[in-house]
Amino acid sequence: MAHMVTALEKSHEEKVATDRVMFGFWVYLMTDLLMFAILFAVYAVLHGNTMGGPSDRDLFSLPLALGETLILLTSSFTCGLGMIAARLGKKNQVLVWFGLTFVLGLMFLGLEFREFAEFIHEGHTLTVNAFLSSFFALVGTHGLHITSGLIWLGVTLAFVWARGLNAHMVRKLALLSLFWHFLDIVWIFIFTIVYLRAFV
Amino acid sequence: MNQSTHDTASHSKREHGTTRSYVFGFILSLVFTAIPYYLVVNKTVTGTLLLATILGFAFLQMAVQMFYFLHLGRGPKPLYNVGFFVGTFGAILVVVVGSIFIMSHLHHNMMPAEKTMKLAEDEGIHQIHGQKTGACEGVHANHKITIRNGIVSPAFVEARLCDTLTFYKEDDVDREITFGSHPNHGTYAGETELTLHKGRGKMITLGQPGTYQFHDHLNPGTAGYFTVTP
Repeated sequence: MAHMVTALEKSHEEKVATDRVMFGFWVYLMTDLLMFAILFAVYAVLHGNTMGGPSDRDLFSLPLALGETLILLTSSFTCGLGMIAARLGKKNQVLVWFGLTFVLGLMFLGLEFREFAEFIHEGHTLTVNAFLSSFFALVGTHGLHITSGLIWLGVTLAFVWARGLNAHMVRKLALLSLFWHFLDIVWIFIFTIVYLRAFV
Repeated sequence: MNQSTHDTASHSKREHGTTRSYVFGFILSLVFTAIPYYLVVNKTVTGTLLLATILGFAFLQMAVQMFYFLHLGRGPKPLYNVGFFVGTFGAILVVVVGSIFIMSHLHHNMMPAEKTMKLAEDEGIHQIHGQKTGACEGVHANHKITIRNGIVSPAFVEARLCDTLTFYKEDDVDREITFGSHPNHGTYAGETELTLHKGRGKMITLGQPGTYQFHDHLNPGTAGYFTVTP
């Protein structure tokens, strides 16, 4: 019984530590959200300033944006399923679900990269006008977040694969999934305000 | 003990979600993506209503993901993270709505085109937003016209486009130089009236080709003309 109490106390301590770390990370996410909000405001103000160049409607492809959205949504979903598996201590399921998240994230990044490459190839670079500057700043910042998320995810998965799941690892995965869901929400607004709005 | 384990498990489920809640959230997300996409592609509604609708779906989508994926509001009490989110959301509202409001009014309060042109010519701004304003660029010849005791000398000036013309007054009578014939005055390159002070010249840029009369509005006999060739 005495042993049981110690274990419970320990798990309680762990929980308090996790809650504290999660809140700290949440505060970071909110400041990040503020930064995105400013980039959104800049885009909202400047998206019409094309200096006679092609406008958003001429450049963007709606099916591509929809594809990116569906991929990111699905990756958010697999990330959530991975988190359930992590809390149940199922290492192989964690590797599968988070592995899928990683692949979907990579696909998303590939599509975004292709879009950017196409724009730049056609001469629509970020120095051409205010519209393109604000577009690349907003969507590019999100892409950089996805890139860093993928690096983080890759490293964490390697650790899970090599050392197995423990409370520390589950906490890391929880932060990671928070980050990933957050990026998904930011993307929903990029999809709506940048891509869908262009065709209204 | 059993009871306690059960409590922890149900607590964990409430706080972290179940497979079912993730599936439900995912399906809702797909629906809330498909509807605005369909509306935009098929233009079922248009204009501001469509914009408001797709923005509404974005916020719905956000709410769904915050509830089913981030489990916001189901963590340990007090809900500091919810409080922090609400505060951030307020700041975002001020930044985004404020920026759009201010900038759209800035555009609205911009000077009318002809005033902009006049300003551009006066200040020698020959390019705005990469487009030529028509204002003269660089240094060109200056022509002088002196008015003394009602006599204009020379009474006729021949100049090329973009030259400058300076009026001097060397007597004590007030002079108001106007363009066109008296009393129906015209304007020349945005100028309507030049008030001359003793000892100081008034310079105008000859940015408009043609032949123009000028005279002292207070003393119509004091007159002359100039020709600007392109």
